[in-house]
Amino acid sequence: MSLGLLVCEARLRSHSKYAQNRAAMFPGTFNYCLTMPFATAVWILGSHLAVAAKPSVVSQHDIVPLMQLRCTVCHGLRKQEAKLDLRTRESMLRGGKSGPAFVPGKPDESLILKKIHEGKMPPRRKVVSVSVKPMEPREIVLLTQWIELGAPITDPPLGKPQSLSEEDRNFWAFKPPKHLSPPKLNEARIGNPIDAFMLRSLKMKGLDFSAEANRQTLIRRATFDLTGLPPTPGEVQGFLQDNSPEAYAKLIDRLLSSPHYGERWGRYWLDLAGYSDSDGGQDSDRIRDHAWRYRDYVIKAFNEDKPYDRFLMEQLAGDELAKPGSVPDEVLAENLTATGFLRMSSDYTFANITGFVPDRIEVIDREMEVLSSVVLGLTMKCTKCHEHKFDPIPQEDYYRLLATFKGAYDEHDWMRPRDGGGPSYSVPWPTRQLPLPGIHAKWKTHEEEINQAIAKLKANGGEKKNKDAIKKLEGKRRPEPFIRALWDRGEPSPQYALIRGNYLRPGALVQAGIPAILSNPNKPFSPRPPWPKAKKTGRRLAFAQWVAQPNHPLTARVMVNRIWKHHFGNGIVRTLDDFGNAGARPTHPDLLDWLATEFSRRKWSIKAMHRLIMTSATYRQSSATNPRREKLDPENKLLSRMNLQRLDAEALRDSLIHVAGQLNEKSRGGKPDGINARKDGLITVPRGPNGWRRSIYVLQRRTQIPTLLTTFDLPRMEPNCVKRPESTVAPQALHLLNDATVNQLAGHFSRRLIRETKDTSAQLTRAYWLALSRAPTNEELQSDRSTLEQLSAQWKKELGKKGTVEAIHEKALTNYCRALLNSSEFLYID
Amino acid sequence: MNATSHGTSRRDFFQTVTGGFMGGALLSLLEPEALAAPLQPHFSPRAKSVIHLFMNGGPSQMDLFDPKPELNRLHGKSYFDEIPGEVENPQAAGSLMRCLYKFARHGQCGMPVSEVMPNLAKCVDDIAFIRSMHTTNITHEPALFIAHSGRMLPGLPTLGAWVSYGLGSENQNLPAYVVLEDPNKLPVNGTQNWQAGYLPPVHQGTRFRAKGAPVLNLKPAFDQPTAIESLERDLIARFNKRHKAARPLQPRLDARMASYELAARMQVEASDALDLDQETEATKKMYGIGGKATDSYARRCLIARRLVERGVRFVQLFIDFQIWDNHTEIKKGLRGCCDKTDQPIAALLKDLKQRGLLDQTLVVWGGEFGRLPIAQLPSDKNAEKAGRDHNKNAMITWMAGGGTKGGVTHGATDDIGLAAVQDRVSIPDWHATILHQLGLDHEQLVYKRNGLEERLTSVFEARVVKEILK
Repeated sequence: MSLGLLVCEARLRSHSKYAQNRAAMFPGTFNYCLTMPFATAVWILGSHLAVAAKPSVVSQHDIVPLMQLRCTVCHGLRKQEAKLDLRTRESMLRGGKSGPAFVPGKPDESLILKKIHEGKMPPRRKVVSVSVKPMEPREIVLLTQWIELGAPITDPPLGKPQSLSEEDRNFWAFKPPKHLSPPKLNEARIGNPIDAFMLRSLKMKGLDFSAEANRQTLIRRATFDLTGLPPTPGEVQGFLQDNSPEAYAKLIDRLLSSPHYGERWGRYWLDLAGYSDSDGGQDSDRIRDHAWRYRDYVIKAFNEDKPYDRFLMEQLAGDELAKPGSVPDEVLAENLTATGFLRMSSDYTFANITGFVPDRIEVIDREMEVLSSVVLGLTMKCTKCHEHKFDPIPQEDYYRLLATFKGAYDEHDWMRPRDGGGPSYSVPWPTRQLPLPGIHAKWKTHEEEINQAIAKLKANGGEKKNKDAIKKLEGKRRPEPFIRALWDRGEPSPQYALIRGNYLRPGALVQAGIPAILSNPNKPFSPRPPWPKAKKTGRRLAFAQWVAQPNHPLTARVMVNRIWKHHFGNGIVRTLDDFGNAGARPTHPDLLDWLATEFSRRKWSIKAMHRLIMTSATYRQSSATNPRREKLDPENKLLSRMNLQRLDAEALRDSLIHVAGQLNEKSRGGKPDGINARKDGLITVPRGPNGWRRSIYVLQRRTQIPTLLTTFDLPRMEPNCVKRPESTVAPQALHLLNDATVNQLAGHFSRRLIRETKDTSAQLTRAYWLALSRAPTNEELQSDRSTLEQLSAQWKKELGKKGTVEAIHEKALTNYCRALLNSSEFLYID
Repeated sequence: MNATSHGTSRRDFFQTVTGGFMGGALLSLLEPEALAAPLQPHFSPRAKSVIHLFMNGGPSQMDLFDPKPELNRLHGKSYFDEIPGEVENPQAAGSLMRCLYKFARHGQCGMPVSEVMPNLAKCVDDIAFIRSMHTTNITHEPALFIAHSGRMLPGLPTLGAWVSYGLGSENQNLPAYVVLEDPNKLPVNGTQNWQAGYLPPVHQGTRFRAKGAPVLNLKPAFDQPTAIESLERDLIARFNKRHKAARPLQPRLDARMASYELAARMQVEASDALDLDQETEATKKMYGIGGKATDSYARRCLIARRLVERGVRFVQLFIDFQIWDNHTEIKKGLRGCCDKTDQPIAALLKDLKQRGLLDQTLVVWGGEFGRLPIAQLPSDKNAEKAGRDHNKNAMITWMAGGGTKGGVTHGATDDIGLAAVQDRVSIPDWHATILHQLGLDHEQLVYKRNGLEERLTSVFEARVVKEILK
């Protein structure tokens, strides 16, 4: 029976007179209309109507994805209603309780078609509860045709083989970095090889380094760079008094060993991962109770200087690195916590109505965007629908990547972000929470101890009598320790390349793999289960091992470029997430390669790279500029001077609290600090029982970003942030001038000055040291004193007899402190 | 910098400056960029501003502006089995349900409007109805993302943000994109409805409140006499001047100083825009200020007019969470929604017209989807308390002013109002049409990101609905 005949048959079954009337209105979709009871339903089908006719040979690769999409949630891997498994041709033929699902060549005798035509399958009132949509007429036609043809197993023709030209392969970013010797220049200013590379290009333009910044500038710059906080007056004075030649190197070492280092640099990584404490997507924006463990993992990794290759391996394939039991629980816990990296995207698939296959694919796509932009420095988002317009990345590369992650991210074997979200038709949706190895067992013992103690109390004297004691014991219960993890479950569904990225149009079957342009013909991508009998595909492990190779063309380059960016304000490649053709070319390709190879040579130590960069003369330049430098190097691509840098949102908030003497520097990690969302839209971080902690420990809820932070450009993570925007807008001024919390902090700042010093001059001087890391000039001191007197006079007038001298002084000094916190010098680092 | 690329060059310049590596030659251009300076449209615009009356919840098209006699005839007929994949709550699905109110023809054009919109019915000669709108998701959150940002994803720039990005503000002392939220409750998705997404944050909607300080932090959150406030500001200015003097050729420092001056001007201008005491009693009455049902929305409508008068580019009005989401007791609930909005909206149209502003102001009305022709029944199956479930295949919107034709309808739904069938208009079409009236080509209004030239209409083929344009 031809397709045409099938359509005719469908037409006969159609019981509505509307169908034919309406069909005439849409000649282009005539056939489809006829199959529908109401012509209007044609529009319900959506965009795939434009699809060209299927190839004349229907194979099992047209049917398998169809079964996955419509049937296998109840007749598949996790559940086999009526003992029926519809995942493969064989299992369909094997059938269930009522017999085989179909009879080859005989659609009329095939049970599956009978059930579909009767409207029994999938059950119409229940489909939403398993996030499935009924089969479409086009799909029924396809299934019928396949059965009619005897259920051929023919594979569809594979996608066109990759034609990668020599030119493609020779593109700079796709070739491994070379370890080049730095230029030999006889210059006094060359502190380390970085300077030789930099100075060579400066000289070519007739430029030179700027003078070295003064020591006060250097310690302020270095301290903000590595810790995100200003140096204390004592630290500045100590540095100024240290005349030893190693003073500066010692400073860098001290800062690198500060626990604040991980809080600063961990935050940069959390931006890349798109760290968030909430699900996003839905109005409720529910809190992710266990996400913070990943945040703490990242901070710890930076503080411990975890080698970057290991850091990536853990985050990409932590679940496949070690067999449970073969390593200590702490190691296992760390490996698994790290996989939270690809679990950060907003995700509303916990509810039935927002958990359909396309919704799930969106989640996967977002994580792939994180992966490609962060780890590979490539833009692959566009390859979901078509081949890359600028880079030699065919569409199949994208689906190879999806296949690589399919053991953990399978839209047909979905793991919900959490429980709840509508009644399910007895489908056991697994969630993405794993018990934390080691800790969970301890927690369980602890819980059991409490249970036993309570049971004992109940037995001895009863519940009423021991009410208080029981209540006390109940209060000792702890939340169950979970981690939000990603793990391979060993049985991924097949991956098809989706034509135009449309989930209703599966094309060629693809295998797990890496982008062709980056592959090595001598080293085929061959994943294996990570240990004998492991129920894991090992695909992500193979991917992670490939990424972490020392001579990988992108891994080291992309990361050293980011480190460079956070020290200088711009990367050597300015497009941090795009090393491809449409991205920027490196301003100093040799230096980038030298740094990249140095990075892997130095055991992927990020701290070693900081030392290298920060001890260079390039880094130690003054930010002062002049017309000549502006003319010859207007964008400062050559780094003929340091860039003036604005504090980012967290550094600003943390510094405000720090200067006010209110920063809790002892309490770290754990559950995030709460926020307060006021009805008028202001979102604050109230001072909690632990005081104020650093911004990285504040709840990162997608819909409720603290106003101060968002005003200073902390973006919402969707899916991540590869580069913070920097705006200069009036609401920033309004916030620092008028906000209640800033006022509160200015008050703390002024009382601190009063507490720590004797007279007004000393207070003003101390204020400069705390906020700006320097002493005021005599002229500044004089004019500031006079303003303070004017402020006091006004407050005296305002407060009248109620105002004591002390109260007046404190109020005036608070105004003064707020002004200092509003100053450009506080916000911009030279 | 030639004339055609003027807008882009300006924008590139700003991004360069904020990136921190720009010379001082173009310093004079910096100051206006500290807010959102006016930029050149792609072609001559028909409208200067947009007032978007957003109706969160999904107003029922067949009970307001799209009468369906055939649906009335088929009332009670079972229909669920034809559309099982299209119903959010299949367990509660009932039979076909007739239009709930009486329709009558109005205006010279004879437009049918149901009895619950008596005031708007008098304005139909100025309105273009699009009966054939449709969207792609039947759940509020994703459908709202689609309505505002074109795609079913959180975190993308919204229509107003794109307009701000494309055109900037006519008034340097007010934001280009203002949101007038309902003091009762934010819409579903909250502030995400006016986010800037990946566009610079300056383009996100600024919330203006009808009571108290109109803009967040516009006034000190603590008691402080003005004399002291100005002393403190002078001190800041002195700090910054001195700092700047020691750092020549750093335009970012000038921009920052300009942002403080702008903040001061904004305090005056925003307060003035929201001062409804400057309006006559007759005007206030016309909008329904003081009316029990109408007061809240009337204030926002009147403020909207005052804002577009002052050059605000995009004003968006929200109403009390998602009151148009009539799953139960729709007959009563839908009337309630109309009671709150009908008079204020009609007054806004009349007021704009009598002031000669309607022709340059595009007023847009609509929600995130429509509703189904079948009933949604409560658990006791009481048909008296029936509502209607969400419908992505048919929704109605209208536009007035700003170069649109009055007294016309575009497109049609099928006989029972289930789906748009004739001259269908997608959300991207609708976005493209709004941009078009402002002189913006949706294909040219792009932002480069992650290797893509992102645009509001994304990769969709969008068509400007020329049929409703003058």
